[in-house]
Amino acid sequence: MPDVLRVKVFRFNPDSDVEPRFDEFEVPVFENMAILDVVMHIQNYMDRTLSFRFSCRIGMCGSCAMYVNGRARLACRTQVSSLKTKDITVMPLPNFPIIRDLVVDMEPFFEKWKKIKPYYVSKKEITEPVVVRPGSGEREFIDDMLDCITCGCCYSACSMAATNSEYLGPAALNRAYTLIADKRDAIRVERLKVVDRSYGVWRCHTQFNCAEVCPKNIVPTRSIQNLKRRCVFYKFGIV
Amino acid sequence: MHAWTWLLQRISAVILLIALGWHIALLHFSKGGAPLSYNDILIRLNTPLLVSLDVLLLIFGLYHACYGVYSVFLDFDSSKKERAVVLAFLIAIGLGFAGFGIFGLFTIVYSA
Repeated sequence: MPDVLRVKVFRFNPDSDVEPRFDEFEVPVFENMAILDVVMHIQNYMDRTLSFRFSCRIGMCGSCAMYVNGRARLACRTQVSSLKTKDITVMPLPNFPIIRDLVVDMEPFFEKWKKIKPYYVSKKEITEPVVVRPGSGEREFIDDMLDCITCGCCYSACSMAATNSEYLGPAALNRAYTLIADKRDAIRVERLKVVDRSYGVWRCHTQFNCAEVCPKNIVPTRSIQNLKRRCVFYKFGIV
Repeated sequence: MHAWTWLLQRISAVILLIALGWHIALLHFSKGGAPLSYNDILIRLNTPLLVSLDVLLLIFGLYHACYGVYSVFLDFDSSKKERAVVLAFLIAIGLGFAGFGIFGLFTIVYSA
């Protein structure tokens, strides 16, 4: 008999259920099995009504983030063997409204993402390609932070996002930093004014929960601390 | 405003580390660990530098504490009105305790 996983899956359909419940499944293990394979197996062979979101399966799209064994993770990039247990509990990401089962509403996350204007705005006077030296420390730092796939793991792990619904959250602030730190950006001051609000950078208490769970190993706290410094420098007239 | 108050919080933290360290050293180790007498305190409070240190400790300690409490309050959803009430309350508490502390300090200074 093959090895089996004992999987508890969070179930909730707001249209028909009064309250959430956990359904339990026994799922056969195979080599290199990821959590996404587990929930797909359940949906394909055990309960076709199970809802979850996924797309690329290679850790690029950020759509399969779930709360697995007490931690936000990408289901496609989490090997069952890495959990070192046969008991697995899968839940939707915390801090998000639940649409159904493991599917959460990402709207609050992207509302905040929109607030920082997450796109590059070129200065009008720049007509030639700008030379950014590969060896510049600032550029390397921005490069690291650009790996964000907006999966929402950091937002779900952030205790400030949990208690303050207006807080911009680690991902949006990290994105803001990558743009503000870019000398070519035309609306750096505008962005700084957005993050320099009570619900902006000042709500971060450097708990590093976001960095702990980021599947891309980004440290948003670092960006947020840099943003705080930039906000202070801006008050002294240094942009 | 947040940038200034945050910066002052950092500055007050550094001052507290130094002033508190100094205060503890004076209070507990200045006589080789022996307890200070009332006269020792009176002599200390007639030294302008040490009185300044106590005033600094009082003001920055209160600022640091009140800003910390306000910051914790802001971590939770609140209305503008609630924020204004809490801020006004903390400012009143801070100023009240600062005034009371300074009054007490200088009462001793002038009574000596």
